[in-house]
Amino acid sequence: MTKMRIPAILTTLALLLGACAGAGPAATAAPATEADIDITGPVTLTLWHALTGDPQKGALEASVKKFNETNGKGITITPVVQGNYTQLYQKTLGAIQAGTLPELVHAYESQVADYTKAAVVIDLDAYVNSKKNGLDQAGKDDIYKPYFDTNRFPQYGNQLLSFPFSKSLAVMYTNEDVLKAAGVTTTPKTWADWEQAVMKATKKDAAGKTTQYGYVGTTDASYFNAMVLSRGGNIMSADNKTVAWDGKEGLETLQMIDRLYKGGYAYTPTGFDFQADFANSKLAYTFSSTSSRPFIAGAMKTPVNWTVGLPPQADPAKGRTVMFGANVAVLKSTPQKQLASWLFVKWFSEKDQTADWATKSFYMPVRKSAADNEALKTHWTGKDPQGKQAFDVVAASIPEPNVRGQQEIRDVILDMYVKVTTGKATPEAAIKDAGARANQILKDNQ
Amino acid sequence: MSSVFKHLVLILVGLAVAYPFYFMITTALKDFAEASTTPPTLFPTSLHPENYAEVWSRQPWARYFANTVFVAGTTVFGEIVIAVLAAYAFAQMNFRGKNLLFALFLATYMMPGEATLIPNFVMMSNAPAGVNPIFPIPRLGLYDTYAAQILPFLASAFSVFLLRQQFLAIPKELHDAAKIDGAGHVRFLWSIGLPISVPALVTVAILSFYASWNAFQWPFIVTSSPDIRPIQVALNAFSAEAGSNYHLLMAAASFVVAPVVLLYLVGQRYLVQGVARTGIRG
Amino acid sequence: MSGGAIAVDERAAARRRRLFGENAQAYLFLLPAVGLLALFKILPAFYAVYISLFRWDIIQGAFRGLDNYVDILWANATRAQAFWQSLSTTFTYAAITLPIEMGLALVVAYVLFQKLAGRDIYRTIYYLPYVTSTVAAAFVFLWIFHPQYGPANQLLGVFGISGLRWFQEPDGIFQMLGDAAGIALPDWAAGPSLALVGVAIFSIWHFLGFQILIFLGGLGNIPLEYYEAAKLDGASQWQLFRRITLPLLSPQIFFVFTIGSIGVLRAFNEIFVLTNGGPLDTTRTVSLLVFRTFFQQGQIGLGSAMGVLLTLIILAFTVIQFRFLERRVHYT
Repeated sequence: MTKMRIPAILTTLALLLGACAGAGPAATAAPATEADIDITGPVTLTLWHALTGDPQKGALEASVKKFNETNGKGITITPVVQGNYTQLYQKTLGAIQAGTLPELVHAYESQVADYTKAAVVIDLDAYVNSKKNGLDQAGKDDIYKPYFDTNRFPQYGNQLLSFPFSKSLAVMYTNEDVLKAAGVTTTPKTWADWEQAVMKATKKDAAGKTTQYGYVGTTDASYFNAMVLSRGGNIMSADNKTVAWDGKEGLETLQMIDRLYKGGYAYTPTGFDFQADFANSKLAYTFSSTSSRPFIAGAMKTPVNWTVGLPPQADPAKGRTVMFGANVAVLKSTPQKQLASWLFVKWFSEKDQTADWATKSFYMPVRKSAADNEALKTHWTGKDPQGKQAFDVVAASIPEPNVRGQQEIRDVILDMYVKVTTGKATPEAAIKDAGARANQILKDNQ
Repeated sequence: MSSVFKHLVLILVGLAVAYPFYFMITTALKDFAEASTTPPTLFPTSLHPENYAEVWSRQPWARYFANTVFVAGTTVFGEIVIAVLAAYAFAQMNFRGKNLLFALFLATYMMPGEATLIPNFVMMSNAPAGVNPIFPIPRLGLYDTYAAQILPFLASAFSVFLLRQQFLAIPKELHDAAKIDGAGHVRFLWSIGLPISVPALVTVAILSFYASWNAFQWPFIVTSSPDIRPIQVALNAFSAEAGSNYHLLMAAASFVVAPVVLLYLVGQRYLVQGVARTGIRG
Repeated sequence: MSGGAIAVDERAAARRRRLFGENAQAYLFLLPAVGLLALFKILPAFYAVYISLFRWDIIQGAFRGLDNYVDILWANATRAQAFWQSLSTTFTYAAITLPIEMGLALVVAYVLFQKLAGRDIYRTIYYLPYVTSTVAAAFVFLWIFHPQYGPANQLLGVFGISGLRWFQEPDGIFQMLGDAAGIALPDWAAGPSLALVGVAIFSIWHFLGFQILIFLGGLGNIPLEYYEAAKLDGASQWQLFRRITLPLLSPQIFFVFTIGSIGVLRAFNEIFVLTNGGPLDTTRTVSLLVFRTFFQQGQIGLGSAMGVLLTLIILAFTVIQFRFLERRVHYT
């Protein structure tokens, strides 16, 4: 706080001086907030991120390089990889203790909520709404509304504490060749149909041992959440005080998973090995982030017919899945650095930049208008038709809760899932226990 | 036991011990497809030494090696100087409070690192914004520096014990003779104490070097920029980048392991002596 | 007489001067070591206790007295369950690692001690894992025990065992054996998870050489005459081992046990890489729990309290070992 106060005092002094000088006719209006100031000298910023591998890492580095060369205000950004998202989060929590934070940090929503607890995150509303440095109404409307929603934090007075950055969504990957060979000719419309398709696509040898699976149960809480959403369920209760995934839809999901594992139709992967299985037509279905596209395509030895899209839906007219991907938060530093950080964040979301980013990184563009970008269109029709398939369902993506404690709750969901898939607990017992634990965590974090 | 049987036992254990090294090197030479086939192949069907070049080009490994060499080198040197002085004082000098101080050293040796991990981390940091601690904790502002990786390991109670044993073994006559010649402690230590303790010093140096080279947990939490990141932390970070490209991760692991294995093969005798004399674990 | 008295006084004064000088010099010699130990070991120990008395959830909050300890030990069901489970995991890990490691090391050292061709080569190989970094080696093990692509399952396949999931398997090994034999075991008899056994295999691999080394040193200290005398009395190989080797090796056995159990209780790096505490927390030892509480949940007060408890446990464990085991050790 003391660090912060000195610039604040200086700003106040400057305001007073400005007011005195304001007697003259040439006086310009004094900046109303820190968001309206000018960048007066060279600014160097550090961005911590979790894009560990190409193409994402390279795409970000290229974008940053372009910004550094073209911003014309002397802003230089250095991107630093801090490992995967968990390690980045650990590093940032550590850096909060250490008082040595970067200016920009790449983070999931619930992580931003944790950082905000330490009062190190800047509310971006002032910057977004700044007449001088902000976005105009058309710009605001062009960005998908869910992408704004996910970065508003009810726990912290609905402030906009982060901005969409590397966005994606949970989708179902389908290997059409495997399904065709198994005699599944129509796309399953309900989860019951889908379960049948998984069973048909599974191959077993004479001893009953599975030689080819229909489904791989990627161990991540989000896919469970996506299944709950698609069945019409909710992740959180309306008042944000208790979880809602422990209801009927959650139980049905677990029971289905339980049947698939018990019958030898599904397996749990190690790392990313399932991508090779899928790419080599040894697997019919998997759930993954849309940003897994390049890895799956890259693992294909021979061309494969594959698609991405929403899983079966309770209400096909209003498809629902989990929004994925991370955001970027601006951390407290100096008014100059904060503004420079915002200018980068804003630039990154501009139409052509977000389209270019989507082309190179395989993340989703954050603006609707990006679909008109010629380069992105060419990319989609040529190399990445699945990119277009994913983009077409962006509107269906629903943010996961951004409350404090969500990280721990994700662990609880994962535990529950593993308990069921390893036969340690019945779906009924597992979900009951997990729901109680999750609600306790929410209570502890109030 | 017949000697055939003995060899059988030794060979079986030897194979189990050596196999991971073999696996690491052969996997590093496979291509992606072969590294992830079922069942795994014992020998690579085709050799891909270019994997090493690819891994090397992906990260500034030379910088990571330099970081580790610098941190380990400084730690070893500083630790020896500090331990020699303290050990000599305990072994050859009389002073008030000797037993008390020695007990203090003993106590710090017994104390596991877990309790001090968090406070040490907090101490390395700057005072965080908005927090005004009541307790007078020194804030060193060393988070993400070389110093943070070196300072906490400079004073090693263990090295002091080891060298104290060595200095206690210096014959009293030698010291008396030196006193008659008018040599003070400093001169005696420099011209007699150190030269006859070279094997013990080498042992301390090697053990300290290994500990520093292989350190992971502390540098992992106390560094954040790649510029000062040591090799083990870099390897862990690379595992995220490598993803399912396990052949690349194995290539990285093999050049992280190579220098210490070479050092071991050269300095085996000292290491064996050192461990036998003392027995530290990891 | 008086002259003698003066001489004595002067000698005493000289000794005082020398002693004072020596005191100052000794303190100077000790200053760097004592200063650094005070700063990085002693002060942080007090600080850990201080932190543990606060609600310190990312930022320092209200004073809680001993409530963090109360929460961990019983009051907060989730926290207490996690703590006790991790403690039990830690001791289970020690209980499966140490006996096997020591037994194996003892046998190998005993065989290796005898004059055999190629002794040096064996020794060089056996010590190799000990100098290898745990992080790099753990990555290798992760792939060797990969359920699908790993050679470990390939080898077991020869014996008709297939599909083990190693570092992902939360099931207890006795439970798995029971299931294979068609016997349903109660939960308490499930045994350590296969994942924990996998971690133990790594640990044994990594530290075996160290223990062999210590035992070889001990064997070298046993006078050969003892064996010769016993042989004259017609003792068998087993009797020699049982009556001479084992008792006279007891200081080393004790030493290896103490150092080994402290090492196992503190283990972090290999578990962090191999399982990061999973699956289902079956490999989450106290060290990993402390780490997670601090760095993944931002609960610094609770994490410190756990660290303090772990320290007390390790200290108590060491003291008990010294008390009860050392009496049974024969020093030569």
